[in-house]
Amino acid sequence: MTLETILFYALSFVSVGSALMMITRRSPVMSALYLILNFFALAGLYLTLHAQFIAVIQILVYAGAIMVLFLFVIMLLNLGDEKKLSEKMSYKKIIPAGLSFGLLMELLYIVSYAKSDLPLTHIERATEIGTVEYVGKALFTDFLFPFEVTSILLLAAIIGAVVLAKKKLD
Amino acid sequence: MVEIQSYLILSAITFIIGVVGVLARRNAIIVFMSIELMLNSVNLTLVAFSAYLGDTTGQMLVFFVMTVAAAEAAVGLAIVIALFRNKQTVNIDDINILKW
Amino acid sequence: MVEQTLHSLSQFLPETTLTITFCISILAGLILRNKPKVIPVISFAGILLATVFAVRQMGSSQAVFSGMIVVDPFAVFFKLLVGSTAVIIFLFSIYSQEVQSTLKRLVEYSSLLVAMTLGMFLMAGAVNLLMMVLAIELTSLSSYILAGYTKEAPDSSEASLKYIIYGALSTGLMLYGISILFGLTGATDVYAINRSLAATSVNSVALLIAVLLIIAGFGYKISAVPFHFWTPDVYEGAPITITAFLSVASKAAGFAMLIRFFKISFIDFNLLAAHAGGVWGLLQGFEWNKILAILSVLTMTLGNLVAVWQNNLKRLLAYSSIAHAGYMLMGVVVLNDKGLAAVLVYFMVYLFMNLGAFYVVMLVANKVGSEDIDSYKGLGYRSPFISVAMVVFFISLAGLPPTAGFIGKLFLFAALLDARWVWLAVVGALNSVVSLYYYVRVVRNMFLRDPEGSTEPIRFSFPQMAILLLLLVPTLLFGLFYSPIVELANASVLMFGVR
Repeated sequence: MTLETILFYALSFVSVGSALMMITRRSPVMSALYLILNFFALAGLYLTLHAQFIAVIQILVYAGAIMVLFLFVIMLLNLGDEKKLSEKMSYKKIIPAGLSFGLLMELLYIVSYAKSDLPLTHIERATEIGTVEYVGKALFTDFLFPFEVTSILLLAAIIGAVVLAKKKLD
Repeated sequence: MVEIQSYLILSAITFIIGVVGVLARRNAIIVFMSIELMLNSVNLTLVAFSAYLGDTTGQMLVFFVMTVAAAEAAVGLAIVIALFRNKQTVNIDDINILKW
Repeated sequence: MVEQTLHSLSQFLPETTLTITFCISILAGLILRNKPKVIPVISFAGILLATVFAVRQMGSSQAVFSGMIVVDPFAVFFKLLVGSTAVIIFLFSIYSQEVQSTLKRLVEYSSLLVAMTLGMFLMAGAVNLLMMVLAIELTSLSSYILAGYTKEAPDSSEASLKYIIYGALSTGLMLYGISILFGLTGATDVYAINRSLAATSVNSVALLIAVLLIIAGFGYKISAVPFHFWTPDVYEGAPITITAFLSVASKAAGFAMLIRFFKISFIDFNLLAAHAGGVWGLLQGFEWNKILAILSVLTMTLGNLVAVWQNNLKRLLAYSSIAHAGYMLMGVVVLNDKGLAAVLVYFMVYLFMNLGAFYVVMLVANKVGSEDIDSYKGLGYRSPFISVAMVVFFISLAGLPPTAGFIGKLFLFAALLDARWVWLAVVGALNSVVSLYYYVRVVRNMFLRDPEGSTEPIRFSFPQMAILLLLLVPTLLFGLFYSPIVELANASVLMFGVR
C-alpha cells in the first residue's frame, strides 16, 4: 500500500461517514458541521488528484462562505432547538430510499462495468493543469463567456435574496 | 496508484446519500445541505475525470458548479426565511412535496 | 482573442441589450425610488429592442464566444418566441392586480423578468452543456424569486420553496449526468460529443444512465412527467403573469435546448448526407427517441387525466400545459425535420392560445376575485365578449377547427403518421378527446349555468380588450391562413453545424 492509497481510503471513509452523519442528524447545526467535515475531506481528495487550486477554493468558498451562510440562517431562525424540529420516520420514506438504492446499484454497476471504456492512466499533465496559472488562463480565454454569464447569475441571485429576505413589503 | 473507479464509486455513493437526504428529510435547511452534497459529488467526478483524461474542461466545470451552488443556496435560504416568517416552520411536511 | 470577442459581441446584440437593460433597470430603481412605475417601461423597451435585434439576426448562422453559443435560425426562432411572450407579459402586468398592488417592488419584478428573458435567450443558443446549465440556472433562479413574489399570499412562498427544491434536485441530477457524459466522451461541447460518439463506441448502459440523468434537467424545465410535481403548485401559487410566462416561454426554451442537445449529439452525419428531408439517424444504436416517446405518452396522459378533476382554473391550465408538453414531445420523437417543424408550428400557436386563456383568467380574477371554476357560472351573460374569447382559446387548446390549435395538431399528427408512429398518434388523438371534456366543463359553466350571486354585467376597459384581441385574432387567423407560420417553421429548423 502506498501512501496515496492509504490517504485515499482514509479520506473516503471520512467523506462517506460525514455524509451519512449529515443526513441523519436531527439538529441542523450538527448537520452543517458534518457537511463542513465532508468538504474538508473532499478538499484532501482533490489534492490527491493534483487539483490544488480547486482544493483551496473548496475550503474558501464552500466551507468558508456557503456553509457560514447556512449556519447564519440556522442561528437567525433560532433552529438550534431540537424539539421544534422533531421529524417522524414514516413508511413514506421507504419509497425514496428504495429508489435511491436502485439508482446507486445502477451507478456502481456502470462504473465497475465501464472499466474497459475508461481511461486508466494518470496523465503527466494532470499536475500541471491544476495550477492557478493554468486554470486562470483557461477561465479568461475559452471560458470567458460562461464566466461573464455567472456574473449576471450572481447579480440576479443577490437581488432575489434581498427581495425575499426583506422584512417588510416596502 | 488509486484507480479512477475508486473515485467514481466514492462519488456515486456520496451522490446517492445526497439524493436520499433530499427525498427523506423534511427540514428544508437540511434538504438544501443535501443538495450541496450532491453537487460536491458531481465536482469530485469532474475533477477525477479531468485528472485522468488530462483535460482541463472538467476542472473548469467545477468552478461553475460552485457558483451555481452558491447562488442556489443564497436564494433557497432566503425563501426559507420568507416561509419561516409566514408559517413559523421550516418543515416541508405540510407542503406535501409529492402531491399530484 | 480580443478581436474574436469583439466580433462575437457584434453578433450578440439581443443578449447584450438585455444585459444592459437588466443593469439599467436595477440602477434606475435605486435612483428613481419615488417613481417605481418608470422601471417597467424601461424593461419593456429593452425587451422590445432585443426582440427587434433578434429579428435582424434571421438567416445568420455562426458560432460565437469560443463555440459556447450559436446564432442560427433555430435559436432566432426561439428568441422571437420568448421575446414576444415577454412583451405580452409586460402588457398583462399593467392590468394585473397582484403586480400592481405591490407597487414598490415593481423594480425587482421587471428587472428579474428581464434576467429571466436573458436566460431563455441563452438557452435557445447554448451548444455547450456548461452553457446550458448556466442558462437554465439563470432562468430558474429568476423564476424561483418571481414565483414567491407576492409574499403576503401564504401559498406563494410555499410554491417557491417547492419549486427551488425540485429545481435544485434536477440540476444536481443533470450535472451528474453531464459529468458521466464528460467522462465517456471527454467533451461538454455537443459537436465534440457527437464526434467522439461517432469515432469510438462507449458503454451503452453508462450512456443511457447519463442521458436519463440529463433528461431529468430538461424534463423539469418543460414539466414532463415524472418531473412535473412542482408545476401545479407553482402555477397556482405564483402571480398569473408569471404563471403565463413560465407556461409558454420557459417551456419553449427548455424544448429548444432538449431538441438541440439530442439532435446534434446523436445525429449520424453520414445518414443525414445520404437522405433527403433531414433524417437524423442515431449514433451508437442509442434509441433515445423511444425514451422520449414513453415520456410523451406519460406526460400527456397524466396531464389530461388529472386536469379532469381540477376545480381551480389556474391548476386546470397547469395540467393542460403539462399535456401540451406531451403533444410537443411527440414531434421530437419523429427523427426528421418534418417533426421538428411541426413542433415549431405548435409552439407559435400555443403562444397565442395559452397566453389568451391565462389572460382571461386574470381579467376574471381581477373582477370576481376567484379562479374557481364555479365563479365562471353564468359568465357568458355577464360578460359575453370575454366568454366567447375564452371559448375560442379553449377550442384551440383542444385542437378543433377552425382555430390555430387545429393546425398545430394537424401538422404533428401528419409528421407522426408519415414516420409510421401510428400507436403514438392514436394515444395523442385519444388524449385530445379527454382534454375536450374538461375544456367543455368550463364552457358549460359559462353559458349553460345561471350565475351565482351577483348578476351584474362585468365591464372591461378598451385597452384591456385591445390586448385580448391581440391574442384572439391570431388564434383565429392562423387557423385559416397558416402558410406564413408554416414557412417560418420550415425555415427555422436549420441548426448551425448540421448540413
